[in-house]
Amino acid sequence: MEDESEPMSAEESLALIARQSEQVRRELRFDPARLLFVWGVAWFVGWGLVYVATVGSVVPGWVGGLVVSVLFVAAIGYSAYYGTRRNRGIRGPSRTAGGMYGWSWCVGYLALVAINVKIGKLGLSEESTSLLWTGSCLLLTGVLYLAGGAIFQDRLQYGLGVWIILAAVAGVLVGYPANFLVLALGGGGGLLAAAVTYLVLARRGQRVRGRAV
Amino acid sequence: MGNQELPQLDPVIHAQARLRVTVALAGLCADEQITFPRLQQLLDMTPGNLSTHLRKLEDAGYVEITKAYEHRTPVTLVRLTPRGRAAFEEYTRALHRLLEVPGAGQ
Repeated sequence: MEDESEPMSAEESLALIARQSEQVRRELRFDPARLLFVWGVAWFVGWGLVYVATVGSVVPGWVGGLVVSVLFVAAIGYSAYYGTRRNRGIRGPSRTAGGMYGWSWCVGYLALVAINVKIGKLGLSEESTSLLWTGSCLLLTGVLYLAGGAIFQDRLQYGLGVWIILAAVAGVLVGYPANFLVLALGGGGGLLAAAVTYLVLARRGQRVRGRAV
Repeated sequence: MGNQELPQLDPVIHAQARLRVTVALAGLCADEQITFPRLQQLLDMTPGNLSTHLRKLEDAGYVEITKAYEHRTPVTLVRLTPRGRAAFEEYTRALHRLLEVPGAGQ
């Protein structure tokens, strides 16, 4: 067939291996930094804006709410797209675990929204409603990162879970409206810091791999 | 003279298309399989071409091809066997050794 006629030199062969493995890594490997970055931006910008809208008079309150909703819907859509695209056409225990883990976020958050909306209608003050939402969202997020860390044997993700749970408690303790600031800086900032750490580790790993090839 | 001889490159792997197939499969975890269409899309090969090369890799025992049914639809799953992975590792080692030999091929 096509290639039998053109012999490759050792250099060409190694270059082809490097090129092809890079392409495979790009298309099939699940990169945790990417989703952490997307969610970190959504939390940081969204909740930061809600905080600014709540304490100041520069940004109207509804703008903060709208931006947070749009950012979150976009982040959910992107996560689902990214996760299913990586897993498409590949079978294996870790892929099955990854799929189930992805659905855990979906199930957990749908239930959380249903519960919080119902409780919010029982006549809570604005302050209580706000603390209910920020506390429970951060707690669920933190617990899911703990689970992810345990499933994928990833200490960094587990550590992120612990950090987010601490932020959940801190947010409720500092009270309204500073809880939005904890959400933006502690939550969003924590996610962004984790994303950067993954990037640095990946870069270092690549250098080690480069030396090995 | 045994050690002085040029390392032999595995002819099953040392062909552009089959090398690309092997590298793609080696990029998956040992317990993972990939469907034929996904592999085809990943490598941008025609089905006929990919089948031909997969058969050669299968004949050498480097690749395992399983036909299964998922939701009543037939799927073809491909994975690198431990033997295939070992052969690929040996192949890359041989490439490096070749580059270390000054004036290789003389």
